[in-house]
Amino acid sequence: MTLTIAMNTLREALRKKTLHVLIGLGFLVMLILPLIPTTDEPDARVKMMLVVFFQVVVLLCVTGVIFLSATSLPHEIEDRTIYGILSKPISRLKVVLGKMLGFALLSAILLAILSLLNMAAIQYLASNLPEEYRGIVKARTEFTASQFDIQGKLHHTREGIAWIEGGRAGIARWTFSDLRKNPASNSAFEAEFRPKIESSRGFVDTIPLVVGVEDTNLRWSKTEVLPARADKPFIVKIDTESVQENSIIYITVFPVHPTDYIGVTQKDVRMFLIQKGFVSNYAKAVVITFLKFLLIVVIAVMGSTYLSAPVSIVSAFVVFLCGHILEYIKDFSLLIQCHDAHEHVLPAMLKKPNILLVYMDYLLKKPLEWISFVLPDFKRFDSLKFLLKGIDIPLETVGVSFGYTAIYAGICLFISAIIFKKREFF
Amino acid sequence: MDSFAVKTEGLTKIYRDFWRRKSSSALTNLNLTIERGEIFGLLGPNGSGKTTTVKLLLGLLFPTSGKSWLLGYPSGDLTVKRKIGFLPEESYLYKFLNAEEILDFYAKLFDIPKKERKRRIDTLVRDVGLVSYRKRPLNQYSKGMLRRIGLAQAIINDPELVILDEPTSGLDPIGSREMKDLILEFKRQGKTVVLSSHLLADVQDICDRIAILNKGVLQVIGGVKELLSQRDVIEFMVKNLSEPDIQAVKSFIERKNGDVVSINHPSSTLEELFINIIQHR
Repeated sequence: MTLTIAMNTLREALRKKTLHVLIGLGFLVMLILPLIPTTDEPDARVKMMLVVFFQVVVLLCVTGVIFLSATSLPHEIEDRTIYGILSKPISRLKVVLGKMLGFALLSAILLAILSLLNMAAIQYLASNLPEEYRGIVKARTEFTASQFDIQGKLHHTREGIAWIEGGRAGIARWTFSDLRKNPASNSAFEAEFRPKIESSRGFVDTIPLVVGVEDTNLRWSKTEVLPARADKPFIVKIDTESVQENSIIYITVFPVHPTDYIGVTQKDVRMFLIQKGFVSNYAKAVVITFLKFLLIVVIAVMGSTYLSAPVSIVSAFVVFLCGHILEYIKDFSLLIQCHDAHEHVLPAMLKKPNILLVYMDYLLKKPLEWISFVLPDFKRFDSLKFLLKGIDIPLETVGVSFGYTAIYAGICLFISAIIFKKREFF
Repeated sequence: MDSFAVKTEGLTKIYRDFWRRKSSSALTNLNLTIERGEIFGLLGPNGSGKTTTVKLLLGLLFPTSGKSWLLGYPSGDLTVKRKIGFLPEESYLYKFLNAEEILDFYAKLFDIPKKERKRRIDTLVRDVGLVSYRKRPLNQYSKGMLRRIGLAQAIINDPELVILDEPTSGLDPIGSREMKDLILEFKRQGKTVVLSSHLLADVQDICDRIAILNKGVLQVIGGVKELLSQRDVIEFMVKNLSEPDIQAVKSFIERKNGDVVSINHPSSTLEELFINIIQHR
């Protein structure tokens, strides 16, 4: 019966051409993308396609889905079609669940069609990218160094960055000890370097670096001289056979010339395991985005069990917006304090505090904490940051998003069922 | 099995505003028993509490006090909803569906198997005279056609109890007559029919018993014939009597101390005249 309500809800969206309009608009946005100028970076357009899809197109579709799901029950009540349903042997919980499921199906169809178009376009664009820029269409597992040290002479440290002088005066070394790998798979490793460069010869945009990679357990090493550019990272490929399950890889870097300097931190060298293809990573991103849709559908339907259509739409939008700026809501009291500190120099503030702001802080702190606790955290569903860096979305991230959605949606469904059960239809 | 189809005890509904203050009494202390197999009419002017009573019986509204049962189950119980059919005051249907689809949708809510659904839909579409319109979206239906499809959805589950709110509203005289014939057919099939209406002629034609409500209070309840019969008035209907014979009968009655109230040629109803003209020409 729940499925009957869900399919009827979906059929309504199809018959009223709402789904067609949303797909059309999403397609239109993606269609005009090639006309928008981007930076000269070869992968800029691919990044743009990802950003536009996961932010603009998704926002557009979320808007449509909120409008539909927040108004469906109020319209049923207003048009009194609800009489026909509730006089049949179906519980009110199933009616609400059916509505939620219907809009979840709608979102799934919407996302599936638009994401397939987007992915096909990205694959096409990526096929023309130079190899060094194809990281964006990979799914890499990131490893950060477990240890970082400077061998030899450290020139100086500024703002947490260790600077070393070239010509073997100092050598930066990163140790990677927790590399996991299935030797049977045909995946590969690569190391990405992002050092800051300077030279006493004046302004330079490229300096040669000696890069060494070695595994003391397996007793192999390779050293090569590579050009480091100021504005972009460089990548060193590591043979698949070279990395075993218990491997400890040491990466050493120093400038070739004594006149050159590099500034490094522990995070400036990362290793990536290129394990799976872009398609599966993209699919995971779409699944996480679908969970976001599911959550907003559940929230919108929950609101609509009690509120009228316009109020329900507004409240769903407010929740959606606030769910994206939770950290600001949590830090609101801090913002007040910062504002206070900026307005008055510290000694003056200490002598003469702004009573109004202090009072506001006192009043708002707890309610805002509670609100931020109750509101859904939509930032959890940000999968774009992974795709833009070509990093494989960990299954744990998908699992946590799924768990969070299930718990939050379950609570919302429970509340909706209670409200709707007590509702009268005049 | 309880012999009653509908029973209410002290059923009261008070509408309240947002602040829970009493705004109006829609129904006050309604005690009602409707036997199985009868056609029962709920009569009353607009705002008398007929629709409120129906909604309370269906669980669309909750009583302020009192209780009600349908076929032995408390109102709103999901089990009893399998055995009842409801036609609302207006045909509130999904206009984006066609006749077949909407009947299939409601049939699915009763978990009726696919083959049986198809059979019932075919039968009902034929019974309500919409065979040639079965694929047409409901937004292209006239009010009368919507009423017919509304009735079809109300009986898709072959209910034991049919609750009809203003069943003839929006129907032309022929449709209205067909609806009344259908209601009588329900009775022949052993179904109980509760109909709420303010069209007195409709109710008089088909109901076994009626209740009249006014301002939410039950005014009278009883059999139609009992309530309408005038015990002190006797009516003879005679055919082929000449004028002198009529005068002779009149004189005889007066001699026996009877008051002749009127001597008329009986007229048929406007509905009968209309149907005769439309159907026989």
